Amino acid sequence: MSDKNKGLDKAREIYLDSSRRAKELKAAGKKIIGYPCAYVPLEMLTALDLVPYRTCGDMKEPVTEADRALPHSFCPVMRNCLDCALKGKNDFLDGMVAIHSCDPQEKTARIWESYTHYPYFHFIDMPITVRPEALEYFKGQLTDFRKTLEAFTGKKLSPDKLETAIKSHNHQRALVRELYELTKPSPPRISGTEIIQVVRALTSLPVGEGNDLLIETISEVKKRTAGPEKKSARLLIWSSTLDDTDITQVFEAKANVVMNESCGGIRAYRGNVKLTADPLEGLADYYLNEITCARTFRQATLGETSKDYARDLQSRFGYLKGIIRDWKVNGAIMLLVRYCDPFAFEMPSLKDYFDRIGVPSAYIEYDYTTGALAPLRTRVEAFLETISQ
Amino acid sequence: MYFAGVDIGSTMTKVLLTDKSGNLLSTIKGPTGPEHRQLANEVMRQALQEASLQIDDISYIVATGYGRLNVPFADRQITELSCHARGVSSLFPNARTAIDIGGQDAKCMKIDKGRLTSFVMNDKCAAGTGRFLEVTATALGIKLADMGEISLKATKKIQISNLCTIFAQQEVVALLSRGEDLENIVAGLHDALASRIAALARRLGIEPDLVLTGGVAKNTGMVKAMKESLGCEILVPEEPLITGALGAAILAKEIYMKAAAAGEALPTRPRRLEKATFFSEEHQ
Repeated sequence: MSDKNKGLDKAREIYLDSSRRAKELKAAGKKIIGYPCAYVPLEMLTALDLVPYRTCGDMKEPVTEADRALPHSFCPVMRNCLDCALKGKNDFLDGMVAIHSCDPQEKTARIWESYTHYPYFHFIDMPITVRPEALEYFKGQLTDFRKTLEAFTGKKLSPDKLETAIKSHNHQRALVRELYELTKPSPPRISGTEIIQVVRALTSLPVGEGNDLLIETISEVKKRTAGPEKKSARLLIWSSTLDDTDITQVFEAKANVVMNESCGGIRAYRGNVKLTADPLEGLADYYLNEITCARTFRQATLGETSKDYARDLQSRFGYLKGIIRDWKVNGAIMLLVRYCDPFAFEMPSLKDYFDRIGVPSAYIEYDYTTGALAPLRTRVEAFLETISQ
Repeated sequence: MYFAGVDIGSTMTKVLLTDKSGNLLSTIKGPTGPEHRQLANEVMRQALQEASLQIDDISYIVATGYGRLNVPFADRQITELSCHARGVSSLFPNARTAIDIGGQDAKCMKIDKGRLTSFVMNDKCAAGTGRFLEVTATALGIKLADMGEISLKATKKIQISNLCTIFAQQEVVALLSRGEDLENIVAGLHDALASRIAALARRLGIEPDLVLTGGVAKNTGMVKAMKESLGCEILVPEEPLITGALGAAILAKEIYMKAAAAGEALPTRPRRLEKATFFSEEHQ
């Protein structure tokens, strides 16, 4: 990476060749650990001087090898991720941490483990509800994770080291939120497409390098005069995964994507890990309770799910109201990756919630390939035509 | 002052010219085909010829349909959903719901005061589209245009269980070899398609008046099956293929008049009838 490149250029370079830096670090003696989902507590890797590397799919890559192992009508993101792994694209990894954030991830983890041969493999069994017992169980899972990490590295994961790592990652979260402050003006100072490149870069770099990149990018964006053009709509995109610029550009051809509430956008950075006496406590609480992914079942009141629909909607989607107000969102896209059951089940309720707070919304499906952009473009443009009349 | 709507669908290309009072001067329809997609200019030339106009006479041109980016002389691109909604409500001012079944997709649209307010579309596959009938007609060795009439002669209900176009093709062949009557099979196909589209429309909510458009609306058997599936009256325009192009021409006129009234300059594209390539700058 040359120093003359500014933050956004660097981010774009890493987005296009995300494993390059990880391979350099590996050559310099670092150990690289892959993870497929925003629920893996990266702080625990960072604290042991391991480099976390998110194993993303490549939407332009036709899935062939994964057909040996996974059915067709199955999460295309996991099919694509596994396909990349089976094609040897992640062979530089020293290990992999998989997690039961949703069923496709859990099933794919078993296959990933048996088809690849990394020196380290760990599976975290993550509970699906936010009940107090679930939190206890999850904390136990993180304790097990610590044990295998310590065995793999031969080092002790001390509370001090973990606290330092939590502070670095919290700094990263704060910086990403600062970056998202820059989409509040009209026109936004940074596009949704650019942010996707930055977030992909963050998930491909050690936390310190990611933070440097963010600081550089934020100062560059604040200074630059040529930013995105003002478009007719300011969109919030709510999805499991939107991490590809080709797809985002379909939206940004006619609108400004000011908020990407998916794990290709702000989802993993919306809050901070609390510093607790036992750091695992704060980590368990953050990853189970604070990340807003549809994989987690949230109840308005413990033990009651259907008594008060309005309150139920509020407890599941209430956080979106503030985003819509602060970012002056005038259209919401409920973007479903095909076969993603957890998000599909939320769509009707989320539609009700958007209707109640008076935000026009559209439900749009895509199959995590760049093969059918024309039908996607038609759906997006038709929605924009309905809200910009 | 003249206006044009160009609707390049997956199967058919439609061009429609109007004068400033909205009178239809010409409508030309041709198969889109792999080459025709690049030849929007040819269909436009025919339409101009029929109306005895030159391309320079056209004040504003709106392109719509899947091929809307492949029309180099169009001043603006608007999706077929907005155009159908506009076209349908000009023909049926009381229309609140429109269903358009084309070669590649099925669309259900809600309309309020002539404008599209919400929509749903089928998944990105051929199930629930005109292609379903096209492919199964070939498998049965009959003409697509004859399917509706044949289905009206049915004497019993046959359930076609496969909504996937490819598997339905195998299913109808199996039914034929089992000795089922052709007309009953064809009626079963219509029912299968109608029930799928009715389910799509119910997701959006159906309000009368309901208008059915697209090539499939020309099929009398399909109109009957849709009425049964939806349980309501269905209005069909005299020429159900052209509502998209009609809406595009009306929107062209509205955009032009609005800009003229506000004294704003409206940018237009060069009026050259040239062959579009797939890699024009808009397509990158």
